[in-house]
Amino acid sequence: MIAFKYTKTDGAEYISHLDLLRHIDRTLRRAGIEVEYSQGFHRHPRIFMGNPLALGVRSISEFCAVDTKFDGDFMCEFNSRSPDGVKCLAAKITDINPNFAESITACSYETEGINAFDPGLVLEREKIIITDLRGRTVDIRPRICAVEWQNKKLNFTLHCGENNLRPDLFCNFLSDAFGGEAAYILKTGSFGDGVF
Amino acid sequence: MGSLRKLLLKCEKPSRYTGGEYGAPNPEWGAGGFNFCMCFPDLYEVGMSNLGIKIVAQSFEERGMCADFCFAPAHDFGNGLKELGVPLYSLALKAPLADFDMLGFSLQYELSYTNVLYMLELAGIPLTREERKGGKYPLIAAGGPCAVNPEPLADFFDIFFIGDGESVDADVAEIFVQCGGATEQFYSKISKLDGVYVPALTAPEYDAQGRLCAFAGVSRVKRSLIEELDSAIFPTRIAVANCESVHDRAVLEVMRGCYRGCRFCQAGFIYRPVRKRSVSTLTEQACALIANTGFGEVSLNSLSTGDYGRLPELLKSLKGALPPEITLALPSLRVDSFEGEFARDSRKTSLTFAPEAGTQRLRDVINKDITEEEILRAAENAFNAGYSAVKLYFMIGLPTETDEDLQGICDICDKIRAIYGRQKRAKALRISVSAATFVPKPFTPFQWERQIGEEEVKYKQNYLIKHLPRGVKFSWSAYYPSLLEAVLARGDRSLGEVVLAAYKNGCTFDGWDNLFNEQGWKKAFNDCGIHAEQFVQERAEDELLPWDFIDMMIDKKFLLSEREKALAGKVTGSCLSGCKACGIQKHCPAARGEYDCV
Repeated sequence: MIAFKYTKTDGAEYISHLDLLRHIDRTLRRAGIEVEYSQGFHRHPRIFMGNPLALGVRSISEFCAVDTKFDGDFMCEFNSRSPDGVKCLAAKITDINPNFAESITACSYETEGINAFDPGLVLEREKIIITDLRGRTVDIRPRICAVEWQNKKLNFTLHCGENNLRPDLFCNFLSDAFGGEAAYILKTGSFGDGVF
Repeated sequence: MGSLRKLLLKCEKPSRYTGGEYGAPNPEWGAGGFNFCMCFPDLYEVGMSNLGIKIVAQSFEERGMCADFCFAPAHDFGNGLKELGVPLYSLALKAPLADFDMLGFSLQYELSYTNVLYMLELAGIPLTREERKGGKYPLIAAGGPCAVNPEPLADFFDIFFIGDGESVDADVAEIFVQCGGATEQFYSKISKLDGVYVPALTAPEYDAQGRLCAFAGVSRVKRSLIEELDSAIFPTRIAVANCESVHDRAVLEVMRGCYRGCRFCQAGFIYRPVRKRSVSTLTEQACALIANTGFGEVSLNSLSTGDYGRLPELLKSLKGALPPEITLALPSLRVDSFEGEFARDSRKTSLTFAPEAGTQRLRDVINKDITEEEILRAAENAFNAGYSAVKLYFMIGLPTETDEDLQGICDICDKIRAIYGRQKRAKALRISVSAATFVPKPFTPFQWERQIGEEEVKYKQNYLIKHLPRGVKFSWSAYYPSLLEAVLARGDRSLGEVVLAAYKNGCTFDGWDNLFNEQGWKKAFNDCGIHAEQFVQERAEDELLPWDFIDMMIDKKFLLSEREKALAGKVTGSCLSGCKACGIQKHCPAARGEYDCV
């Protein structure tokens, strides 16, 4: 099995999670990296993606694992056949499935364009109630791990997987509270077992 | 793209509009002195599945010219562009459509006509030729199967391409470059080419009763014909759609044309003669496609793949050459060519047959020369191979149809069920019946026939709803879209104003059930004082038809004799049982006795 870290940038941020899975499957086939198939009634290639990224959010920290016996230069072969913006940054062989969809529990992001504010105003609040995409009210405060400014960029870390908080929703909340607008959102890091 | 980020995030499937597909050609603006944009008047995921537009675009690339693509944006994105004042742009270069030298629209179905106007308007290009006169706009061109009767859209286009698009489209571009633009000399030169129709040079004339009586100016336009398919352009480096397209697989064009001559089928006549690719060429193309795209499935397309003489050899060759996990799809297999051996795939449970008519008598009328025994035997083979669901396609409103023929549809379902019940099988049988309304089309023996009216359609649909055996899933097509399809297929130049009015009434994406705007169309006909129904009445055999100036290389006399035989219930059979002298013999390999490809 090979675990790899890859990007979703340069237009690929508009590709949906399911379509991205198809693109990875096809990239591997084009690259001649043979993937093992499940043995069930509906056979499918054993490709294990991390959690879906919200549409429009760029990332330089996506994770995926594929069941393959390939022992060549994975990164080189993958990148020579992958779509624009979907590029492997690192790869390693692993004996067990890292199950990134469960193991990654938090991610860090950066954005620009939201008006300057004191991160304490967010972190010191006990509750932050917003309305999510399905119209439910939720308290997002427990899902916010860190917020800080570095130069003009806002860096923040949010829970993902269980107790997930979408970075675009968080930025909408910040826009409403402090003004300005996120010109882009970039996932810069992932935290959890098995990441590299 | 950055400036559109907010709009993209508000829209469904934004990757339709971003370009950058893997394997997409990298056009260079201005290359060869000609910029061509291949336009498809439907959504990205529909257009990206179309092989024809890739062939045409490649024909420009091979001559060193710039070729890009554009698809009709869904309303959310289209409205967003309008609000932002951003003109519709091409996929790869993001160049405004108005900056190209030629926009080539692919007319695959009549119900996409208003989308041509939708795309032109989004591009900021005046819709009619008259309004564009004297301005600096791209040549607005069209091709594809619907272009065989170009007249309903004659007001909007500068050029129609009739017939095979492998070479003439790019020939016209070269003449454009030589003439330094769309000069008089340019139009005069291109109008002499086979496959080019310049509507400005032809004027239909009407007699005192308002009947079409002559074509003034250029009065004959011959289709273009690619005699040899094996060496014809075939794109093996193709873009892999960003989001799932309707046919998300590698497509081979095994052959063009069909031997069968079913009398209702326009494709069966306008794509004559049958031309084939060889086993070795197809195998090479399949391997290249899979290596370049990474698709997991190869589809063997043609109008009747079962008639490809070396099909077993082709399947063996493909299975030997392709990676083992690649599946093969065989659409358009006729009932009698269904062989359990290659249709067997453990994951597939449903099989589709198109008997088209319920009784042998009516199948003889339409020259669909398959018998009920063949249908039932094919079903039995399929069931024994593990299939447990059957889809059956029929038409209602075929010439001479009676209640008996409708009852025949019900009887076939009963018989199929009886066959399934002969053995104990693990799953319950599912039968679905779909009944479309017959649309008489130009260049078929039924081009003179009437289309049944609303009451008859309802009666026949109700008959089936009442009489089909219980448990059969029945679906049918709505009356008005079928009427509209027939009107646009058989209409004349007077329909231009109706299409325009319908578009102005908000009609777009007419082929989408959920977006079809019946009121908009009805109002358009009403406001223009044109009765839709007049175009679907029976035509007299001596009448001049709006498409009679187009030479599809099929004798009108042949079509008439086929019509007579149809009404007499006589089968002509397929070209496989000997040449029927349809008029294209000089160019037809089968007429020379060559049924096999090299």
